[in-house]
Amino acid sequence: MTIDPALLKRLVTARKTAELGGGEDKIAKRHERGLLTARERLNKLFEPGTFMEFGKHAQHDSTQFGMAGKLMPGDGVVTGVGYIDGRPVAAFSQDFTVGGGALGRIHAKKMCDLMEYASQAGMPVLGINDSGGARIQEGEESLSGYGQVFFKNVLLSGVVPQVSIIAGPCAGGAAYSPALTDFIIMNRKNAQMFICGPEVIKASTGQVTTMEEIGSAETHAAISGNVHFVAEDEEHAIEIAHKLFSFLPSNNVSDPPHEPVENLVLDLDPGMNDLMPQDPKAPLDVKKIIYRLVDDADFLEVHEHFAKNIVVGFCRIQGLVTGIVANQPCVKAGTLDIDASDKAARFIRFCNIFNIPLLTLVDVPGFLPGVAQERGGIIRHGAKMLFAYAASTVPKITVIMRKAYGGAYLAMCSSDMGADMVFAWPTAEIAVMGADGAVKILYKREIAAAEDPEKAAAEFSAEYREKFASPYAAAAKAMITDIIEPAQTRGIVAMALRNTLSKRETRPPKKHGNIPL
Amino acid sequence: MKKLRITVDGKTYDVAVEVLEAAAPAATASTPARSAAAFAPIAVPGARSAPPPAAGANTITSPLAGKVVSIDVAVGDAVKSGDQVATIEAMKMNTFIYAEIDGSVDQVVAAAGDMVEEGGVLIKLD
Repeated sequence: MTIDPALLKRLVTARKTAELGGGEDKIAKRHERGLLTARERLNKLFEPGTFMEFGKHAQHDSTQFGMAGKLMPGDGVVTGVGYIDGRPVAAFSQDFTVGGGALGRIHAKKMCDLMEYASQAGMPVLGINDSGGARIQEGEESLSGYGQVFFKNVLLSGVVPQVSIIAGPCAGGAAYSPALTDFIIMNRKNAQMFICGPEVIKASTGQVTTMEEIGSAETHAAISGNVHFVAEDEEHAIEIAHKLFSFLPSNNVSDPPHEPVENLVLDLDPGMNDLMPQDPKAPLDVKKIIYRLVDDADFLEVHEHFAKNIVVGFCRIQGLVTGIVANQPCVKAGTLDIDASDKAARFIRFCNIFNIPLLTLVDVPGFLPGVAQERGGIIRHGAKMLFAYAASTVPKITVIMRKAYGGAYLAMCSSDMGADMVFAWPTAEIAVMGADGAVKILYKREIAAAEDPEKAAAEFSAEYREKFASPYAAAAKAMITDIIEPAQTRGIVAMALRNTLSKRETRPPKKHGNIPL
Repeated sequence: MKKLRITVDGKTYDVAVEVLEAAAPAATASTPARSAAAFAPIAVPGARSAPPPAAGANTITSPLAGKVVSIDVAVGDAVKSGDQVATIEAMKMNTFIYAEIDGSVDQVVAAAGDMVEEGGVLIKLD
């Protein structure tokens, strides 16, 4: 007694048909253009032999506009679960060889079923987007499919990490699914993302533009901020995804993959002292500080090309996964502006959701002054940072390196905004505003009455600076935990993180706060 | 109110003119200005290259409003991408300005001591 061999043969054929997607000719054409197929991408993503496919034999059920009987293997998307670094991750990969990867009802159902599964099993979702958009033959059913995908994206947001790779066209409504996820990796070549393309823009507004200007990875990484990472090619996109997952927990009730060292090293790092310029006006390259602070100079910068006046990213410090938020004095003097506030606030909230401690490195002279900033809503945007920090309950450690002025200092996680520990270097200047501005208000009359007002102002400034251009005034008021030398920072921060890791903080129950969007 | 006398076609008019505040400037997009990446390579796995310079990179502008501390090149100087060409002081901090492309200095527009706006032209390369 054994199973009828014809049945097995049929299964083998069915599998082969599904795995060939749009067929050998289309696959060969992709390879000629240097592009990978949907399945090849998943093979590179997952450890060999770990991929378990969902819905391999799915087909569309559309009969309109010549669709009846038309073969659409997998309905244009490959979905399933595989392993990355020994942990399961759910992934979908749109198959451009099958009807241009267009989204129909079954295609959307496969994506939604996968997301539902990932949410319940508590594993991250990675989506590889390569689709011509809605399958027009299916009409409002494909539109509804997008709606269902968006809804699932939102349900999963804050439950499991969601990462998108843009590996082809991603136009119109399709762009909103990746936009709802936590991180977007976009390929520099063969990938476009936009709502209205150049032709539509020209027809409706007369503006002449190019795809490069509105839809390229470079534009989204540097100007719009839609994209967090730019990949040079397909393999690079997968490498970035692997690196990113190496810092993330599988879900919001797990801890990130800490690899704590057995014994904390508290040795001094004299090189850190050498990075501090003696001239307080000389810009400090905060990335050099970060590379010395983190394990093996291994820092995954998020939004590297966007709002460079603030630096955010993931690292480990003596094995503990940490999110860093740091002012970059080399760019726009390290001021906070609209884009920097948006960038940092989103990163802070991501870390809080996924239990990743926050380390804030402060050298901020203030919010960026300017008409464009005020009219653009720096109040509304800057408030996001205040909101994000205050609302975060993960361990929050702050190091004040130099300037910590006014509202911008509060926005960089001062003790008042809930920092668990605040350390200051001897170069720290903590003040409500800069000396020159302050004395013009404090000593307005005295300066006006002086014989030499400029000299008087300079004297008052020096006096003010003496008082506030050091961390001792703030330390005397118990506003900071300790004053440390830069060389101690790595050891002290590691110890602070280790001590604070078990932090639990309960807040009043509510649906959600109302962050100023 | 200011009183002015205007003559049109030989006929003289006395008029009173009220001087208003400068008109509100048009809303400006907060497009971040590009500045050259002068940092160590980043640990994004295999990060390979910085984005190519923006169009019009031969005009070097100030990324923020401030005072010109120094212009570090003169007309005719050859500059390489990444060379420091000027220093701006703003927000109690010096900001170094770097060339984004190779070229030679065609025109020095700003001088030490000048106040520049965000996006204000400092130097033109050819």
